Amino acid sequence: MEYLAHIIIIAGIYTILSLSLNLIVGYTGLAALGHIAFAAVGAYTSSLLALNLGISPWIGLIIGAIFASVLGAIVSFPSLRLKGDYLAIATFGLGVIVYSIAKNWVGLTRGPMGLPGIPAFKIFGYEINNVWAYLVLVLIFVVVTYVVIRNITKSPFGRILTAVREDEIAAEAMGKNVNKYKLIVFVVGAFFAGIAGSLYAHYITFIDPSSFTIMESITVLLMVVFGGMGSLTGSFIGASLLVILPELLRFLGMPSSVAAPLRQMIYGLLLIVLMIWRPQGLIGKYKFK
Amino acid sequence: MAEKYSNKKRIIIILLFWLILWFLFNNPLNIDFENILDLVKKAACSFYNVMKGLINLISNLKMFSLNQVIVNGIFIGIIYALVAIGFTIIYRTIKFFNFAHGAVYAAGAYFAYTFFILLNITPALSFLLSIIFAGLLGVCIDRFVYVPLRKHKTSNLVFLIASFGVFIFLQNLLQLIFGAQILTLRTGPVKEGHHFLGAVFTDIQILIIVSSLVLFFVCWLFIQKIKIGKAIRAVSDDPIGARVVGINSEKIIMIAFAIGSALAGAAGILVSLETNIEPTMGMNAILKGIIASIVGGIGSIPGALFGGLLLGMAENIGIWKIQAGWKDAIAFGILILFLLFRPSGIMGVKTEKEKI
Repeated sequence: MEYLAHIIIIAGIYTILSLSLNLIVGYTGLAALGHIAFAAVGAYTSSLLALNLGISPWIGLIIGAIFASVLGAIVSFPSLRLKGDYLAIATFGLGVIVYSIAKNWVGLTRGPMGLPGIPAFKIFGYEINNVWAYLVLVLIFVVVTYVVIRNITKSPFGRILTAVREDEIAAEAMGKNVNKYKLIVFVVGAFFAGIAGSLYAHYITFIDPSSFTIMESITVLLMVVFGGMGSLTGSFIGASLLVILPELLRFLGMPSSVAAPLRQMIYGLLLIVLMIWRPQGLIGKYKFK
Repeated sequence: MAEKYSNKKRIIIILLFWLILWFLFNNPLNIDFENILDLVKKAACSFYNVMKGLINLISNLKMFSLNQVIVNGIFIGIIYALVAIGFTIIYRTIKFFNFAHGAVYAAGAYFAYTFFILLNITPALSFLLSIIFAGLLGVCIDRFVYVPLRKHKTSNLVFLIASFGVFIFLQNLLQLIFGAQILTLRTGPVKEGHHFLGAVFTDIQILIIVSSLVLFFVCWLFIQKIKIGKAIRAVSDDPIGARVVGINSEKIIMIAFAIGSALAGAAGILVSLETNIEPTMGMNAILKGIIASIVGGIGSIPGALFGGLLLGMAENIGIWKIQAGWKDAIAFGILILFLLFRPSGIMGVKTEKEKI
């Protein structure tokens, strides 16, 4: 049963990631491919603060999320000038650079050796090291993320985002400062991705650069696209299905040397099939333009 | 911006750039070091020790000379250029970033491994076969993935994400078949290289240079002189116009995929002669290929060649001063700078249709 709780926790963390990416990609139509970089910043910030300075993970979580949103603000600058696939490549590049820093700045991040022994969250003096307690914590964060992003997208602000997605020039002609909205979207998206990253770090208690590769970014994008672009329910479905389904391979008794590439192959095939037959995803409304 | 520089001016700027780099790194101070040393010797003994330490430091740096850095830069740059040219030939006809190109590159290396090591076919024949197979693989990707997408008339991003899907699928298929371990095409022991102008290079590196140059030349002939090449250019300039004058654009795209993918396969084989084969090798190659072609000017074949060389050189000069692990960060830093400040690249001309 603890295994089941573990799967749900991982699915929850991926749900936070894909909800926040959906705000950027699905609602605002900005093709950002480096989403895991924000999670990496959040994870590394809060674990380093906890390990080196003994700062409580709660404060680390907030600081990590703020650092991630600073990175999000930096990433939003290319998005002001670049469109479509060029933006995709540029954000992809920022993802690679963050990965490269995590791997090569050995003095700070210990590089490929990773950071072991990250302390767990504490609440009223009790450590949350029980899987079930952590499950509740993650679910609370999922709900908070969902409520915040849903409120953003349902508000007049969200309708402007949709306008930017549908026709940037028209939105600008209506007197909306498109650049400001892009900046805010990246900052908010990166904030929640940073939270997801530090939730992951304090749950697994060990992080290394291999958790934040480009492939992870593509996996999160696949979750958004699979569930549905511009649909928050879709992100729930996408993240849950794509975390749980590959776990079923484990029950078929495959060795991990077969199961790992097979899982990735399924992801790749899913991407192709979705793009050919249903580019808006299972319940999405919006297609890439 | 693009019209401001003529070709001559461009060449002069590039030459000046390299001259400055040369003087910057060759350290002219080193020449009159002995004289300074004599003066210092007479003046103070303690100061002498400090200077001696400095000399040791400088001579250590000298062992890994700028010449070697440039030679390494050219070798890796030529590989990047091969990938970038293949990528560009495909890009010109379909106008999206074909990530699957990286998987074809890796597959080329694995084809060569299969034919050469597993099936024991002679090197020349097995390399030829694997280049042909790589070309066929490219055509298959086009047939089974991109043709249905083109029928739906979808956007560039959909193509881009689908090509990611192809990339992930093929890379993991290779890992499933051959395993994640590192393989090699090398059969004999590693030979010591030739010394030339203070740099060391091996027979295989010479082979890489020669065969790449031959491939570049054949490519250039093909694109510029032969009728099919002209058709490719026509499709890339104006797809509808090309269709009006009776060019079958689907067939042309297929041929472009065959040639581009064959080039990627060749690059994969050449790299695996020098280094190792692993399933994840494609990602790095396609990223560098894309960066090289954007830096050189997307859609331009001489631009891709030049961008590849520039990227290889910049990376190697970069890691000469800092750690080797930062290569990718340097490459992407260059890419983002170019995308922000000169998105049309060095040799590219920005057309109004390009929505950069």
